[in-house]
Amino acid sequence: MTGLPELVVGAGPSGLGCAIALAVECSVVIVDRLPVSGGQAGWRDPAVRSLVRQAEHAGVEFRLGGTATRWDGERLLVAAPGEIRWNPGHNLFFAGGLRPATAADIGLFGERPAGVLPATVAEHLLAAGVPLWQKPLIVGSGPWARRVAELVHGLGGSIAVTATHKPDWADEAVDCNGSLEIIGREHVRSARVHTPAGVQEVDCDALILAGDPRPTRNVEGALQEGDPRVTFVQPLVGESIQERSAAGQEIALQWLRLNGGQG
Amino acid sequence: MGRRRHDGHCAEHVFDVAVVGGGVLGAAVAARLSSTSASTCLLEAEADVGEGASKGNTGVAVSYYGGPGSLETQLINASNPGWESLCDRLDVPYRRIGAIMVALSDEEGDRLEGIRQEAEECAARAELLTARQVLEAEPLVSGDCVAGLLLPDEGIIDPMRLTIAYGQLAVLNGVDFRLGERVIAVERETEDVTIIRTSRGRVRARYVVNAAGLGAGQISALAGGEAIATWPRKGQYVVLDRRFGERLSKIVFCTHLPDTKGINVVPTVHGSALLGPTAQDGEDPDDRATDADTIAHVLKQAARLVPSALAEYAIKTFAANRPASDEQHRLRVDPIVPNLVHVTDRSAGVSISPASAEHVVALLRESGLDVGERRDAVAAVTPVPRLRSAPDPEALIDIDPLYGQVVCACEHVSAAEIAKSLEGPLPARSVDAVRKRTGATHGRCQGSLCAAGVTFLCALSTNTGPATAPSTTRGTVGS
Repeated sequence: MTGLPELVVGAGPSGLGCAIALAVECSVVIVDRLPVSGGQAGWRDPAVRSLVRQAEHAGVEFRLGGTATRWDGERLLVAAPGEIRWNPGHNLFFAGGLRPATAADIGLFGERPAGVLPATVAEHLLAAGVPLWQKPLIVGSGPWARRVAELVHGLGGSIAVTATHKPDWADEAVDCNGSLEIIGREHVRSARVHTPAGVQEVDCDALILAGDPRPTRNVEGALQEGDPRVTFVQPLVGESIQERSAAGQEIALQWLRLNGGQG
Repeated sequence: MGRRRHDGHCAEHVFDVAVVGGGVLGAAVAARLSSTSASTCLLEAEADVGEGASKGNTGVAVSYYGGPGSLETQLINASNPGWESLCDRLDVPYRRIGAIMVALSDEEGDRLEGIRQEAEECAARAELLTARQVLEAEPLVSGDCVAGLLLPDEGIIDPMRLTIAYGQLAVLNGVDFRLGERVIAVERETEDVTIIRTSRGRVRARYVVNAAGLGAGQISALAGGEAIATWPRKGQYVVLDRRFGERLSKIVFCTHLPDTKGINVVPTVHGSALLGPTAQDGEDPDDRATDADTIAHVLKQAARLVPSALAEYAIKTFAANRPASDEQHRLRVDPIVPNLVHVTDRSAGVSISPASAEHVVALLRESGLDVGERRDAVAAVTPVPRLRSAPDPEALIDIDPLYGQVVCACEHVSAAEIAKSLEGPLPARSVDAVRKRTGATHGRCQGSLCAAGVTFLCALSTNTGPATAPSTTRGTVGS
């Protein structure tokens, strides 16, 4: 009724699913910091391309390559190369994706040398084709772990992982049931892992955090649950593009059932 | 005076002053000296300034620290009124938000009156509050609070940015900063000239300022000066997300005991909050390990002051060593070596830094350093607008189109800010140095989104690849 669009932040599978469902009843603008759709699923995937076509067909407007930074309840500040602009909107749907749990999230103590990295970062750096580490310990086996392991293997390294059962992509598994301590002042030399059998020291030259996916929250003014004008579209379960877009659609449909006809 | 400069006659320059230590005090002294005609160099063992206690503290510019009549109190009092104008000149975030010391028992409540009296003797403003007034001033404080003491002139500051800005000002005015140069020997060449041998060469100077923090005892010993006992006092901290920190409006101190300040809850200028520090005396200055039990203790003590599910807001834990010593502060000419001036403080270095720099220059002049004030000295650093805090962010694009390229999505740090940190005086040379200057990678995802980008930018500007790009001042990204 105000004529303002609904704003979706994040053009990954869940954001696209959300936008498609909303577009049935509302005008929708979708924003993403990358210049392409798909988020962590990547823009090349046929399933992503199909979602993008559906969204375009439904009239969703894409504003890609700009990072949403602030939401003041009525407007979303989006910074893009060459333009920083407030975008008026009716409601905000935040589909900013998931990130690996941080050292603080998982209880990682000890020294703070170089070589302790989130899996998302390790993946980017390894993708440059440089063998950065020979024997990293991957902490957790979230959605990024396999990809990092493949890259490390491709560059001639071996992989240890904290897991009860050894996954096919790892060379060694350590059953961690407590906290971890990093050893090493300048570089990671080893990790002290609390296992059911006692404390085990694992030789490694990097620690890669790949556990326990958490929702990314980075739009100021849209950080916590409870604001009626902000809906979080960050399903924690479902790894496939189809599952995540379906979950995004479901969140949007639920919102429409409660708020239908408002926009 | 017989202190004519010999520059023209010597192959090797003799500096008027060599400052040893690039922490907040050394950098402040260098900045102050840079506005005089003294020729100055600064030697820092690490590859960046502010690598010791200056980057691991609660970021409070205090108005009161105990000890009526002490030099430290005089220096706090002389520094405190000037923070707004100094931080404006140096482009350092600072806010005078005030602190409340909270009493959680009748026994603590009784102690507050004594503390108030002492604060008054120290010429700091302090006002007793009822429990109700405490909760009005800071609703997050525990309902178990029985009374409080308001210290309205306490402020929060970014201690890393302060140290860097002092250093930048000094460099702009011609001070020779030698980073990554560890002092290994101090020798007397003549009565007037000292030779400082370092890991990379040597420096000759007429006066030596010992601002080496944890290394102050070692530097004094090398120079033949007084015996100074220094040892690391490790503090462990928890950083809480802005979702919590931005709800805090005051610094919340526990009721201090005479010998320890205890675990406090401190909002930061960037919106997060700090819990800590612990005080663990040790021997190894490079031991910066955290442990689960101590961090649990920090969270528990902090939750007594501010009851909340604090652990859920934790985004980072860290440890740092402050320079404990046989004297809480030591700012004086060495009693044995007349051209050696000590400037160290156990934990109020940030708070006393502006006046300490004045004091040290006065001591140097009393000892014969014959320098005047420069009229052409730069008094301010060029401010770098920040995307996150800009009141009119849309206008930033006209300054630099790279402001539109957000690298760190949690702290909203743009490529323009990161590019600025990698150039100019005292440029960042590691991922961590970029963090100290911009806040990138410092937010709630701890670099999950941006650390790769920052690494590539660092690699580009240091002419290396992602594997060999410096992550910290001591270690590279690859192993």
